Amino acid sequence: MSRKTVGSVMVVGGGITGIQATLDLADSGYYVYLVEKSTGIGGVMSQLDKTFPTNDCAM
Amino acid sequence: MSTSFEPVIIGFLCNWCAYAGGDLAGVGRLQYPPNMRPIRVMCSGMVSPELVLHALKQGADGVMVMG
Amino acid sequence: MNVELLTKSEVMAISGEEGNFTVVVKKDPRYVDMEKCIACGICAEKCPKKVDDPYNMGVSKRKAAYIKYGQTVPLKYAIDGENCIYFTKGKCRACEKYCPTGAINFHEKEVILPLNVGAVVLAPGFKPFDPTPYENFGYKRVPDVVTGLEYERLLSAGGPCLGHLTMPSTGREPRKIAWIQCVGSRDISRSSNGYCSTVCCMYAMKQALATAEHLSGGKLERTVFYMDIRTQNKEFERYYETAREKGVRFIRSRPHSVDPGHGGTGVQVEYVTEEGKPAVEDFDLLVLSIGMEPAQDVEKLAYLMDCRRDHYGFIATHPFDPAVSSRKGIYVAGAAQAPKAIPRSVTEASAAAAEAARSLSAAKASLTTEKTYPPERDISREPPRVGVFVCACGINISGTVDVNQLADYARNLPGVAFVENNMFTCSTDTQVLMAEKIREHNLNRIVVAACTPRTHEPLFQDTLRECGLNPYLLEMANIRNHNSWVHVGDPEKATVKARDQVRMAVAKAALNAPLEQPRVNVIQQAMVVGGGLAGMSAAINLADQGHQVALVEKSHRLGGVAWRLTETWNGLPVRPYLTELIHKTENHPLIKVYKNARIKTCKGSVGDFTSDVESGGRTRTLRYGAAVFATGAHEHEPREYLYGQDPRIMTHLQFDAEKREHPEGVEKASSVVFIQCVGSREPERPYCSRVCCTHTVHTAVKLKEMNPEMDVYVLNRDMRTYGEREDLYRKARERGVIFIRFTRAEKPRVLQEKGALLVEVQDPILQRPLKLPAEYLVLATAIVPNDINELVDLYKCGLNEDGFLNQAHPKLRPVDMPVDGLFLAGLCNYPKPIDEAISQGKAAAARAGVILSKNIMQLDAIKSYVTEKCDGCALCLDVCPYAAIRMEEHGSNGHTFRRVATDSALCKGCGLCESTCPKEGVLVHGFTLPQLKAQVDAALES
Repeated sequence: MSRKTVGSVMVVGGGITGIQATLDLADSGYYVYLVEKSTGIGGVMSQLDKTFPTNDCAM
Repeated sequence: MSTSFEPVIIGFLCNWCAYAGGDLAGVGRLQYPPNMRPIRVMCSGMVSPELVLHALKQGADGVMVMG
Repeated sequence: MNVELLTKSEVMAISGEEGNFTVVVKKDPRYVDMEKCIACGICAEKCPKKVDDPYNMGVSKRKAAYIKYGQTVPLKYAIDGENCIYFTKGKCRACEKYCPTGAINFHEKEVILPLNVGAVVLAPGFKPFDPTPYENFGYKRVPDVVTGLEYERLLSAGGPCLGHLTMPSTGREPRKIAWIQCVGSRDISRSSNGYCSTVCCMYAMKQALATAEHLSGGKLERTVFYMDIRTQNKEFERYYETAREKGVRFIRSRPHSVDPGHGGTGVQVEYVTEEGKPAVEDFDLLVLSIGMEPAQDVEKLAYLMDCRRDHYGFIATHPFDPAVSSRKGIYVAGAAQAPKAIPRSVTEASAAAAEAARSLSAAKASLTTEKTYPPERDISREPPRVGVFVCACGINISGTVDVNQLADYARNLPGVAFVENNMFTCSTDTQVLMAEKIREHNLNRIVVAACTPRTHEPLFQDTLRECGLNPYLLEMANIRNHNSWVHVGDPEKATVKARDQVRMAVAKAALNAPLEQPRVNVIQQAMVVGGGLAGMSAAINLADQGHQVALVEKSHRLGGVAWRLTETWNGLPVRPYLTELIHKTENHPLIKVYKNARIKTCKGSVGDFTSDVESGGRTRTLRYGAAVFATGAHEHEPREYLYGQDPRIMTHLQFDAEKREHPEGVEKASSVVFIQCVGSREPERPYCSRVCCTHTVHTAVKLKEMNPEMDVYVLNRDMRTYGEREDLYRKARERGVIFIRFTRAEKPRVLQEKGALLVEVQDPILQRPLKLPAEYLVLATAIVPNDINELVDLYKCGLNEDGFLNQAHPKLRPVDMPVDGLFLAGLCNYPKPIDEAISQGKAAAARAGVILSKNIMQLDAIKSYVTEKCDGCALCLDVCPYAAIRMEEHGSNGHTFRRVATDSALCKGCGLCESTCPKEGVLVHGFTLPQLKAQVDAALES
């Protein structure tokens, strides 16, 4: 018994990990629902002042 | 001492850093003097010495290249 | 466009199976209509209720009407229902009264959404450890004790100190700062977190080095109290060396108590020195390097989704299927699976995407849509007719800049045919009106004087395209972020500046020409270079996604260095998996394996590469749209510690083979000595080989299991059993394995005395030399990348100083190479264990899949181009960072001349060529020298 395969994916969590998974899937032909519990995406990484080694602003 | 002198400064802002920084300064309402005229470029390396000299020759009081 | 972002939402239930799930999502009310909100911030300004800002870890306040942070996506405000005065006391509604767009909606209710999806990717992240249980570290009791994440916010320019670091107790600048490592990690007494959180050593060092930039200068002392420094990631060891050179003091000690300093400010730390003497020291600020825990949602999500969790509560995966949960069709990535840093999280995210894409490949592109536009109008024969749209942005612009005066001014500028004021130029209804005006007035250049092109250019470009105008005919004047918001107190001068900005934009727009976006017909096939675990993982996933794959292997067989490995660190045998993977690769209908193969040429660029590949005496021409490099690494052959002079001295892989083939001999040994960092963390190879500590500890435990009477010594500089590998280290100590530290300056010596093999080492605790008998001496030798200089030359990609392939960005693009269309995986990038190599292989497949899933790739039109004025002087060739310029010979009838040509697929539009060329022979579309000069001239006209 195989039901129809659905071409969409749900990504749970809108941090850097969820964002990357979302972009990869949406860019390869899958519709993505990105579910985030807070009011905006970005997660903990957006809270970091700088990241090693480029010392880029984490934004 | 004259207070009426208002220099005009041409600012070349790299799209990926300085221009974005300027945007954020706005979001954060950081105040600065209104004398700079921003020009967005795709990289500060795009700004040739010729362009800087051109700006000065046309009467710019200063040129800032930010990237 | 193919993403629906559901904020304030959580998963409530799931049913169905792989390929067809129904997930019920609850979306909580935001009380702000996202269609109407223009993020002007007036609601927050007028809101009278202040609450602790969780985004700044509670070290500052925000309002009950708020935005998470300045760059939030979506950039829309929200009302915090738990704190809003209207919701708690029934009165207020100030935000509703002042909102200029009527976006506030107090009647919004939660919505339950059943969504039909084929797969689920779990990425709920981690929770920073709460150090309150460590009463001795003074958190919340001593004001100048903060957590690592709070310290990030104190340093951040967007944080409560605006980037200028001060002490919480006095507001003065701290001059002496300490960090305590492993707070809530590697500790089963005060927390239940036996694992290493893997990120804290690095973030403490980064903070120590970054701190200087957040102070006004002068004296600064930084001290890190640690147990082992774990800098096992790429380039991290160098950073550690830099931190030491720059004066950061590292003390191997765990402080036992922390109290307020003199007069209640600062911190007093008591600890025992490495020599065993008690010490008391004062600091201005103490940072607790807190670790990671599974987020609260992980437990609930795992329960709902019926996914197994490990003994620490992280979502469990299999080492050979690193992104797959215990339930089919549900994938996992990031810190919810195990504590890890950003690059591995991003890699796993792509690996999870690869798994989902493989599973759903039958339904690919069935639900996604692509927007279509009317054909473009030819404007080449029309004089510029510029339309100027001046946005008031509610009062965001009009509160400072006189927008009516600005519009009047714009009407008299040369070439301007139409000017209009809008309350909100970006709103959906204004787009419709804008399109009408463009058609009605036959406009062919558009200037929008509003906010930043960085966020809004795509929206307006889309409107242009909908009316048949080329999107590059748009120009924006940023009179909000770069003007009204930053010159609030000076409306007059702000208006003068806005006039100049509009004049500059009109002048440039007049020179804007329609630009064609370069198109590449994508060859939807892949090449994988290297047939080890990482390469095979990439090849199989790409083939399962439906792409033809050519796998090019240098040697006579697939499998690479994995043939020499016995078990993963968690005890799974490697051989059965390896042989199965080889079988799958060799028999996959879409994979063609070329052994004993060599890539001889490479032409083309992203989407369309061509290479001649020689294999088995034949040369074939292969075409591919993307390639994955997985060229591997090998064991370093030591020259030190008498290696090669005594059969009892072996590398760790040789000892593995010995243990596999002659277990009876090994079992009888009464003493085995391991020496770590053989060839790693040395001046000639200043990186950590990442896997050796775990490998040694795993072997040591096995030896103790074979023969509990055996003496097992591990001589090390730091034990780097990161993540849950720490369990093995604890187990080894419990089993009686003896760990002895040495330093680079004082290394162990190997002696042969009367036929016996002895290792002499200085014991740091006993403070005297020990002589250990060794029936086997196992050297944990470095991992060295395979020589791929030939490939690097062909593909013009780069190696780091240690010979490992570089990624495009160390954090955000960990499997992309700097050359578009090329990806990397496995040991060629950096030493790593099997699970991480497989994960990277799959991630590379996902990233390559993004390119290969398109028939046609459209590139940005902001690219360099060559004009008639080029005389072939070649100055631009050397400055191009992307090797996108080449020299060409042209000519007919015996007259030849040289002229450069640019490759639009490689060009990134940076314009280094433009600024180098002395004669406008090469320019960048949209940013030509005449365009930039026109802006300068317009700015200086008044």
